[in-house]
Amino acid sequence: MKIKDVLQPFTAWKNLVKEPITIGEPHKREGAPRYRGFHQNSMDKCIGCGTCEDICQNAAIDMVPVEGQETTHSDSGLRPKIDYGRCCWCALCVDICTTGSLTMSNEFKWVEVDPDAFRFIPGADKKPWDDIEAGYDRADHYELHNFEREDMVELAPEVRDHSFVEIVQGYSKTQAQKEADRCVECGICVATCPAHMGIPDYIRAIREDDIELGLKILYETNPLPEVCGRICTHNCEAVCSMKYRGDAISIRWLKRYIADQVALSDYKGILNQNTIENNGKKVAVIGSGPAGLSAAYYLALLGYGVKIFEAFPESGGMMRYGIPEYRLPYDQIDKDVDYILSLGVEIEYNTRVGKDITLETLQKEYDAIFAGTGLHIGRKLPEKFLPGSDHEHVFAAADLLREVTMGQEIHVPKKVAVIGGGNVAMDISRTIARLQKVKYGKVQLTTTALETEEIMPADREEIVESREEGIVIMPGWGPVKVETKEGKITGLHLRECISVFDETGRFGPKFNEDNTTFVEADMIVESIGQGMDISYTESLGDKLEMGERGKVKTDGYYQSSLPWLFIGGDIVQGPDVIHGIANGHLAAKGIDKFIRGEKS
Amino acid sequence: MVNWKEDRSKFPEKNPDGTNKIDLNSHKFVKIWQGPQHPGVTGNMALELTVQGDEIMESKTHVGYLHRGFEKLMERRRYIQCFPICIRVCVPEPDSNEYCLAAAAEELGGIEVPEKAKWLRTLALEMARLANYLQWTGGQCGSLGMGTVGQWTMYLRDYVLDRFEELTGGRVYHMYIIPGGVRSNVPDGFEKRMNEVLDEIETVMNKDIYNMMFNNAVFKTRTVGVGYIDPKIMEDYGVTGPNARAGGLIKDVRKDYPYLIYDKLDFEVAHGKDSDIYTRAMVRRNDLLTSVSLIRQILAKMPKDREIMAKMPNVLHWKIPKGQTYARIEASRGEFGYFMTSDGSAYPRRIVVRGPSYTHAMSLFEKMLINANIADVAATMVSLHTCPPEIER
Amino acid sequence: MKATLERLKGFFGASDEVIQRDDLVFLTVDKENLVSALTYLKNEAGFKHLVMMSVADWLEEGKFQFTYHVNSHELKKDIALRVFINRDNEDMYTIHTLWPTAMVYERENREMFGINFPGCPRVEENFVLEGWEEMPPNRRDFDTKEYSDKTFFPRDGRTTNDPREYMKEKLYSEEEK
Repeated sequence: MKIKDVLQPFTAWKNLVKEPITIGEPHKREGAPRYRGFHQNSMDKCIGCGTCEDICQNAAIDMVPVEGQETTHSDSGLRPKIDYGRCCWCALCVDICTTGSLTMSNEFKWVEVDPDAFRFIPGADKKPWDDIEAGYDRADHYELHNFEREDMVELAPEVRDHSFVEIVQGYSKTQAQKEADRCVECGICVATCPAHMGIPDYIRAIREDDIELGLKILYETNPLPEVCGRICTHNCEAVCSMKYRGDAISIRWLKRYIADQVALSDYKGILNQNTIENNGKKVAVIGSGPAGLSAAYYLALLGYGVKIFEAFPESGGMMRYGIPEYRLPYDQIDKDVDYILSLGVEIEYNTRVGKDITLETLQKEYDAIFAGTGLHIGRKLPEKFLPGSDHEHVFAAADLLREVTMGQEIHVPKKVAVIGGGNVAMDISRTIARLQKVKYGKVQLTTTALETEEIMPADREEIVESREEGIVIMPGWGPVKVETKEGKITGLHLRECISVFDETGRFGPKFNEDNTTFVEADMIVESIGQGMDISYTESLGDKLEMGERGKVKTDGYYQSSLPWLFIGGDIVQGPDVIHGIANGHLAAKGIDKFIRGEKS
Repeated sequence: MVNWKEDRSKFPEKNPDGTNKIDLNSHKFVKIWQGPQHPGVTGNMALELTVQGDEIMESKTHVGYLHRGFEKLMERRRYIQCFPICIRVCVPEPDSNEYCLAAAAEELGGIEVPEKAKWLRTLALEMARLANYLQWTGGQCGSLGMGTVGQWTMYLRDYVLDRFEELTGGRVYHMYIIPGGVRSNVPDGFEKRMNEVLDEIETVMNKDIYNMMFNNAVFKTRTVGVGYIDPKIMEDYGVTGPNARAGGLIKDVRKDYPYLIYDKLDFEVAHGKDSDIYTRAMVRRNDLLTSVSLIRQILAKMPKDREIMAKMPNVLHWKIPKGQTYARIEASRGEFGYFMTSDGSAYPRRIVVRGPSYTHAMSLFEKMLINANIADVAATMVSLHTCPPEIER
Repeated sequence: MKATLERLKGFFGASDEVIQRDDLVFLTVDKENLVSALTYLKNEAGFKHLVMMSVADWLEEGKFQFTYHVNSHELKKDIALRVFINRDNEDMYTIHTLWPTAMVYERENREMFGINFPGCPRVEENFVLEGWEEMPPNRRDFDTKEYSDKTFFPRDGRTTNDPREYMKEKLYSEEEK
């Protein structure tokens, strides 16, 4: 033992004169700017998707209704309630939050004698740290979600602009699984879908590569998956919880992926519908559009003998006669329809009810009738609103689209102007553009819309693709007058549209008369909506009660005031395919109840 | 001169297999418990000691006071949800758990971590090692009644925890190394503040603490030649880390199986040869200073790019292909590893934690204590740097 | 390393080689060959360090999988031997004579999985679960949630809602009567 070893420890005594470094109580030390303290939640940003609850490994989060938070289609109205007796402050809930509403403050001290006070709803129950800026939030470059939508393979503009071959090529298996992987399974989308399809369920089936299960889930609520997988208005994607910080899940194309994978011949086995017991009752369906087909399918499953009366030579209604082939190939409609027909549903083509057969005859022969006759009459502005619109070369979009489908040659001049900003306007523009390209080798077509580009009702991709195909789109212009010279159309006068809707949100466009322009055209196409033809109900007279805006009054099951007559589809709600399918499904349930006597 | 050396020819009596003969009915033996609540015990574990006089005849380690079944809990959680649980396996050094879990899951799941994340992971691991060694230094001195050093090292550790707080958002449970990368970049000015802490640690370690520990007659008397581990039995008893290195068995996962970016850093592995408490303490002190130098190197060389997270599949339903792997690192106590078995589902089939204390505190420690003095138990135990939660998981 | 693997495959009948990493190879051996293979690895091939011994429960196949993970400090390589035994009442050979520390692993696995290791000293002693009366808790069929619900009292006043179901109830419940 050295003497040095005995003495040296005493050098520590020099610390006696040092200032202590301890922080005294009560200390006001703040947490670091990233400190994971009590949660903060922005009530407006939060959509109540419950993903935080899903990832919490401590089961510390409950989703509870909060006063003042309405349940809407894009917000469940639920908010996370956190039990701080269980919370371990790992902040995975903050990382996974789909909207970015949930964050943390850097407050870590809170004294309270009541243990139940430590269970509260951040944001709704006011706390002193609600407004603290500092605290944990997802760091830059750190992301658990994949916000980029899987790219869809589409035909290049130069390939597609002269043909009616389908543009969207569909997902491959890897792509579909990658896209399905992005879904957080919150289920917010289900309420928005008119048919309330089991969207998270079939997306999970794709992820787990169980296509058969996926098809079963699709057919539970939608017997037209090939059609819907292509041209559905996909309102679901508009409320998808992934859209807040990135791209919504491509729900529509995932649905198409499932249907595309299964051959028609396998459907019956997968859906287990080889034998259906007939119950001896008969139902007539007027119109083979989405509503009619949907009603026919679900009625057939319940054992009813169903016969569809179709005015046109082929089935599908607006799906075939209103939507161009490059968006929805006819063989895909046939696939869905053929399956429904294979269940024993009969169809009689070229039979217009009210003309070839009367409603009364049907009423006598069948136990109930479902009518889904759709909106087939193309609307046109009357002469007093648009001078010159009586000219023979001013057409309605719906009529032209129907004629193209029927294989009739339509009038295609070198220069065309289209009025309208919806999807039908895009459909007719792109159809005529293709015909122009074939006929003249170039496209000269202008589409004018009242709405500005941001609020144009047409799908974004439709606008982009139209432009790629050489169509000029002029948003924010309203038509004034069709200019004619020597009996021929020379163009369309336009004026600037300042606003489309009035203060109450109703249609009431305002124009700036000083700002006008002129578009050269040899032909004008109006795409300003479609009207219905329900003249077959005229014989019923006053017995058929009418509701708002010339529509037939129906109840929750789409039953009219005449108990045996159910009415659905575009003539009641919509217009779109998925509403028609939902109407048809509910009407089928209603008809079943009516015939079994459970409903008057 | 009186001969204080006791006559050991008849005492202690031996069994034929060489173990001490214990007859509790002879009234010559006393059974006493050290722990589970005892200042000289690391964490909550208990030693069932059978003593004759002040000499230990037999020792049995009892654990189970902290058992929560983390391995079993992880079987019921998705991979991402395991991450807040696994850290609880070791409180003073949770980052090694985070890294091992992430590394095993990434290897099986085929995920490539960005370069910057590797540097940040190494930074967190070295900071954790530093903090843990500081705490240990205090513990080693505390076990010999020298609480002053403990107070110094704890304030130094608090400075490291402050840096952890600003880097990760947590002081003790950092939850920083997540499968796929890390959760944040270093904040502005971090390098400067970290270097200030490192400077202070280096100064205090080299001056005050060195004088109070390694140049201290009391410390030397109590530790030199005490708590000897025969290097020959080290492999049999699974001794790793500083405990092995102090006996000349130079094992360091950082050098032997370079993970993360250790192959890009310049460091020597601290080691000794006497295999007693003093040497182990010296090895740990040198290792601590190595950590300081490593952190300086990391901060200086760290690439400036900002990518810290790999593109992950959706963690809510991340399925890892069927397989097994073992991810190991050098924790401050020795070789630390996670053995992960995946059955192809979104939940791990089984995760087994290899904590270095599992072998150190159980079979090795039981062997070491035989014929040791009861007063040396605490010092020996701390010198093995045991941590009961690793044993129980 | 190559020679060692060949020897294991040839002499000890090891199969199902999985090269997980450059430094980690998995092999499956029969239960009967295990102790001799480990003895060879430790005493002749230089794999002196028992990294860990672990058990995984393959309930569906009715098997327990043992993994004996050994490491050679000289070669810087790991070999992990897998052994499958029946899940029902099958014993396992003890290796405490090779590595005294294996005694602890065996004691733990007896408690956690209910596998006996005849010949292992102190294997009957409790490891962490004093007074445990349920089935061995690391077995796959032991339900921790059920156990905790049964053993501990739940906290009152906790209810949660599934957004999808809640929205259905609020927004379109009348449609699906």
